[in-house]
Amino acid sequence: MRFIAILRKDLKRMVGDRRAFAVNLLLPLLLTAIMGASFGGGFFGKGGISAIPVALVAADLPPMLRDRLAEGLEESGFFDVTWADSLDADRMVRQGEAAAAVVLPPDAGLRFLDGADISVAVWKDPASPLKAGIVEQVLTRGLVRYQAGEAAYLALWPDDDWSAAGSTEEFSFQEFLSGDFADVWRRWRRADTDPVLAETRARITRVMDRQVALSDALSSQVVVVDAQDQAQAAGAGEADDLNLYNVFLPGFAVFFLMFSVAAGARDLHREKVRGTLQRQLMGPVKPVQILLGKWGSAALQGMFMLTVLFLLGATLFQVNLGPDPWSLLVIIILTNTATAGLFLLLALVTPNEKTMDNLSTVIILVFALLGGTFVPIDAMPAWMQGVGQVALNYWANLGFTNVVAKNIPLAEATLPVVVLGWTTLVLMAANIFIFRFRLRRGGLG
Amino acid sequence: MIQVHNLVKKYGSHRAVDDLSFAVGKGELFGLLGPNGAGKTTTISVLATLLPGDGGSASIGGFDVADQSDDVRRLIGIVPQEIALYPDLNARDNLNFWGRLYGLKGAALVSRVDELLEMADLTAQAGQKVDGYSGGMKRRLNLAVGLVHAPEVLFLDEPTVGIDAHARSKILTLIGDLAAGGLTVIYTTHYLEEAEQLCDRIGVIDQGRLVALGDKEDLIRQIGDEDCIRFQLAEDRIATLEAASSRWQGFIKIGRHKGKVEIRAADGASILPELQGWFAGQGLVIEQLEIDRPNLEALYLNLTGHGLREKVSE
Repeated sequence: MRFIAILRKDLKRMVGDRRAFAVNLLLPLLLTAIMGASFGGGFFGKGGISAIPVALVAADLPPMLRDRLAEGLEESGFFDVTWADSLDADRMVRQGEAAAAVVLPPDAGLRFLDGADISVAVWKDPASPLKAGIVEQVLTRGLVRYQAGEAAYLALWPDDDWSAAGSTEEFSFQEFLSGDFADVWRRWRRADTDPVLAETRARITRVMDRQVALSDALSSQVVVVDAQDQAQAAGAGEADDLNLYNVFLPGFAVFFLMFSVAAGARDLHREKVRGTLQRQLMGPVKPVQILLGKWGSAALQGMFMLTVLFLLGATLFQVNLGPDPWSLLVIIILTNTATAGLFLLLALVTPNEKTMDNLSTVIILVFALLGGTFVPIDAMPAWMQGVGQVALNYWANLGFTNVVAKNIPLAEATLPVVVLGWTTLVLMAANIFIFRFRLRRGGLG
Repeated sequence: MIQVHNLVKKYGSHRAVDDLSFAVGKGELFGLLGPNGAGKTTTISVLATLLPGDGGSASIGGFDVADQSDDVRRLIGIVPQEIALYPDLNARDNLNFWGRLYGLKGAALVSRVDELLEMADLTAQAGQKVDGYSGGMKRRLNLAVGLVHAPEVLFLDEPTVGIDAHARSKILTLIGDLAAGGLTVIYTTHYLEEAEQLCDRIGVIDQGRLVALGDKEDLIRQIGDEDCIRFQLAEDRIATLEAASSRWQGFIKIGRHKGKVEIRAADGASILPELQGWFAGQGLVIEQLEIDRPNLEALYLNLTGHGLREKVSE
């Protein structure tokens, strides 16, 4: 088949350009290594990245709430929490012992029960901007979730919004819960005989029951999903540590893949200028064969690049290759077929190589920002996740995140596969149409 | 072998090929002579099925170039003006690729590639990347690629542009050998000496139109066939020479041209002995003697009002 001849020729040319080939492999590895190292990751069997040290200051928080807060932070795998007073926390941040300190106000517990505003301070170590930024990001997202819970509560039980309406209680929650544990206990017992305290106690009981019920209702699904992921990861024998290389490597690999595939597609312009495209068109070869040859060679080169990158990543950074051999391979193939289709389209609609060069650089950078190259998709705000869906690499990154970072088999997360597959088909249909149209108009002569 | 009838190709309102008609016989080496921008490459592109025509018709080997383009493409080989090769591949890989594209494979491909490397005198450099070749080597390989599938008709579009005299001579020899072997060739050039040297017949093209057609002698006859002899001579001797030369066989007239004396004669060679005798009789030596025979440059100037080296504005 003639398109095989074209494919073979282009692959030979690409492999012959050893410098470009090496750069395409080395740059993603280098950036992954830098990002990983900045989180304390190591090489050759030390892929697990150490948790970010965080100092937590919450002077009067009841022990139960302290435990829940610490557990919540540590369960994420991102943080290693140390309780401290504000002086210690300040020292730890200044001396680099903690990337950040999260400082709750002294009356945070009571304000929480009162439904009053709580101002949380984050002291960041300027020497660890990335880690401190993650602390702030996660905290902000956690608080948004907390506020959403509050909103849900008040929507269900608006009568409990006594803080907004002005408290009519003769004995406020704050007064009831002030002092040490013995003081609270005494008031709790006195409520058996004191109707004012009894009213407050009943109210506290009701509020707490409702909070717990709401919390269970809101978190039950999340808990189930998390539990499954943990079980699968443990069952597959993966490292218990969080391995951020699983997130960084696919992100950077897809980023550089776009440059590499764009360069391959850009060759269509070079062939036109050199006259080899016209020479092929004057031979017994169909236009669609030329197009398939170009697309296939760009996609195959990218597939080889990603495969080598993942194998190197597995060796150097213990990157997870997924729950089975096929899931990763399918995502690699579809990522490349769709990316090659996209940049071939760009080559066909741009008048010359320079225009395509500029346009593809802009597209790659915008896609990288929207599609989860620099910020993992899960960590992106909801609106950005929505906008990011227009970027091809969003779906590639989502696919890789499912398979590599979450160890989910492809059969259980098919959306990226469907989107990438359809994108490939639509783009190639458009490419064939445009190529034929331009030929009929003499635009390639 | 090739029939072109009233062919038209337009770019917007500009008629790059304007009502062009000619025919080329089997085994003929036909030259399309004209300056850059005259419409030669556009004509070749339409005949080679790369561009659709906007009027008229053309056929090669009996196949219509518009309606039977697949059949036409099997018959033709093309050597474009550009070095249409892959500079990052070596000569053998380039030939292999183009050979495969035309359906050659296995031993037939290897044998054909070896043959073409030999023909292009590139066997020793077959493994080197084309990027490192000289201009002449690239041109020879460009020609070899056009022949990889042994076409019946070869289009050569300015195949010697940008190379030195030695390399050009090598290419012209190659083309001469191919034509002698029975290949039908359409050769476009703006070098009249190449057209004169190589072509059996020449079509002179200007602004998309064929302004003259015939063999070299036919064309030159159109502007007369006077030879022109020029030399240095002192002013006070001219009257004496004029009186003497008017009696010479074939003498036409005497005059001055750019500081030299110019004698026009039907046959310059027969006048020369008389001229040498006259100089000897006067005790003089002939200095800076030139003999110009009628040529295509003069014809072209005569037909179009501009020279072949001038680019025609479109």
